[in-house]
Amino acid sequence: MMLQFLVNATTLGAFYALVAIGFSLILGVTHAFNLAHGEMLLLSGYLAYFLGKHFGAPLLLILPVSMLTMLFAALCLERLLRRVPEPHELNTLVITFGLVLLLQNAMLMAFSANYRIVAPETGPGQTPSSTLFLSETQVLILGLSLAATGAVFLLLKRSFLGKALRATIQDGEAARLAGINVKHMHLLAFGLGGLLVGTAGPLYARTAYLHPFGGMEATLIAVILTIFAGVGRIRGLLIGGWILGLVESGTVLLLGTNWRELASSLILIALLLLRPEGLLPKWAKTRP
Amino acid sequence: MTVQVSHIFRLSALAASFFIGFNLLSPPVLLARPLRIGEINPLTGKLAKHGQEIHEGILFAVEEVNKRGGILGREVQLVSRDDQSLPEVAINQTEDLVYGVGVAGLTGGYVDSLVGPISEIAARHRVPYVASASLQRNLTIGRRNPYFFRVSRLDGIVEPLCGFLTSQLRPKNAAVLFSATPGSSEFASEMRTCLKQAGVPVSTFDKFRPGTSDFSSFLMKLRMERADVLISGGFFPDHLLLARQMKDQKLSLRAYLGPWGVAYPSFIEEMGSASHGLFGMCAWNPGITLPGTEQASEAFVNGFRTRFAKQPNTTTMHGYSSARALLAAMEKAMGKHGGVNGDALCRELRSLDLLLPMERLVFDDNGDPRYYRQVVVQIQEGRMVTVYPPDRATGSIVTESP
Repeated sequence: MMLQFLVNATTLGAFYALVAIGFSLILGVTHAFNLAHGEMLLLSGYLAYFLGKHFGAPLLLILPVSMLTMLFAALCLERLLRRVPEPHELNTLVITFGLVLLLQNAMLMAFSANYRIVAPETGPGQTPSSTLFLSETQVLILGLSLAATGAVFLLLKRSFLGKALRATIQDGEAARLAGINVKHMHLLAFGLGGLLVGTAGPLYARTAYLHPFGGMEATLIAVILTIFAGVGRIRGLLIGGWILGLVESGTVLLLGTNWRELASSLILIALLLLRPEGLLPKWAKTRP
Repeated sequence: MTVQVSHIFRLSALAASFFIGFNLLSPPVLLARPLRIGEINPLTGKLAKHGQEIHEGILFAVEEVNKRGGILGREVQLVSRDDQSLPEVAINQTEDLVYGVGVAGLTGGYVDSLVGPISEIAARHRVPYVASASLQRNLTIGRRNPYFFRVSRLDGIVEPLCGFLTSQLRPKNAAVLFSATPGSSEFASEMRTCLKQAGVPVSTFDKFRPGTSDFSSFLMKLRMERADVLISGGFFPDHLLLARQMKDQKLSLRAYLGPWGVAYPSFIEEMGSASHGLFGMCAWNPGITLPGTEQASEAFVNGFRTRFAKQPNTTTMHGYSSARALLAAMEKAMGKHGGVNGDALCRELRSLDLLLPMERLVFDDNGDPRYYRQVVVQIQEGRMVTVYPPDRATGSIVTESP
């Protein structure tokens, strides 16, 4: 039973991390507070839902289509936000809030107010033992989340491009003076963010329900985890996601479902008071 | 400039003479001022699905009356407002309908957190309000509001469900999960009392916030506590997630019961074969109607399909029934007094006796419907089969777990 609890909690945490990485990367590099992150995730989820339901497309095909579509959407968003005057952070907040309303109503017209979900697999799921139940979705979430987090981590840590991105996260102006093309870094951050949203969206359609007004929950997860981890801290996001998953799942198991939000809020407040720089220790501050 | 002014003058004179001539030649019904009723529903936001369903039911009822020539020759105009699934917006929109538009009566509303504030404004301005979907007891019993009526009541859900559980299912160990909304919380505590009185232990009694997407730990708890029946007071999307996650976790229960949200064709469509065996409740559905109203029910289904190109459901029927009540009261008030005002409408609503596909609609002293009673249905191979009460059953229970 303990093993089952750990599997459920880490799957939940890994999914939280996958939802948050794109948001955190964009915020870190461009300082754009993308409130429409959840709506983009929903769009990707709807795309996966319709491709699966009406064309019978397998997830292996849905994933690249969704990633490319969201890459295009994120690059369009970057073009839009590039024109936003100073103060950039505040203005991007206002613009993306407008975008939230626009996307919500567009989705309402396009997909109706019906709740959608990718129906569960009817065949036998992955069951390593008689006491541990591991569904296909859980395997996918764990696998894709670890792969995406690992890939972004390696990109930031091991490549020259990653170094440039990290420099832009730390200080955009200094990076510009050092000869880094900050505009290209912004484009790259949005591009990566779009690919990550395109990866998370089809999984979102399998774990949560799709509704035109359901995006704010996902944005909140991304914001909370970014505060947990510190902006642009990829390892911190994964660890933060797992802590949040463990706390939420443990609270439900021990105290009841209604204590879940209270427990995660308390953790968040405590963290903001005790470790305002994020979860990871200070020596890891310059690392992704 | 002079040319322009004289041109505008000539055009205005032509338009005015055309308007006067048109009105003189038209039948008198077009000259009569329309009767206005207001409707507040969550047409956008989280509850938009059910808000739109109620809206379509109300619209259908109003169009039906207008097709028959209106009420004593006066057209009924429906003024719709969207509360965006937010109580504060519901308050603003109701005030606009009452002050700005000057509606004769109000209808619509989904969930008590939205219906409650509307009912208070209705009472303050003496405008009758017939709510389409409301359950919370203290809206009627605890606090007398003579201007508030509704077409549904909690007892109409709790009593048949309790009867079904204690006489048919007889769980060994039940779990109750409910949403943090007034109606759902009240429902859950009623169910716990009912089960305890029948000697059924309730091992889990958990509340969750609407919008919760992960129930895996809750389901683990059910497995640990060996619950065999889960009564879930969540709504449509919560059932989607719970049923999905139960399937993923291979949790076998004797019965999963969701009074709100399972007995919908769209739920069956979304869940596919995973919906097989789940229990839900409804007051009406195409093919599930009050005995003696089969023809009216079929006419409603056919008319609705022609108008909206889709199938109505139990929520649509709640909207239709509430509008029918308000329109019938208006017709009676117009017949007696030649006009409508809040107090006259309330008097007529209190003396109303309507046979509708969903219920025989008679309001008690508190404004609750006297005969509202839902049936328990089970989804069997994509169809809703009524399994309780016995006098309305169309099939028996199948035992496969969801």
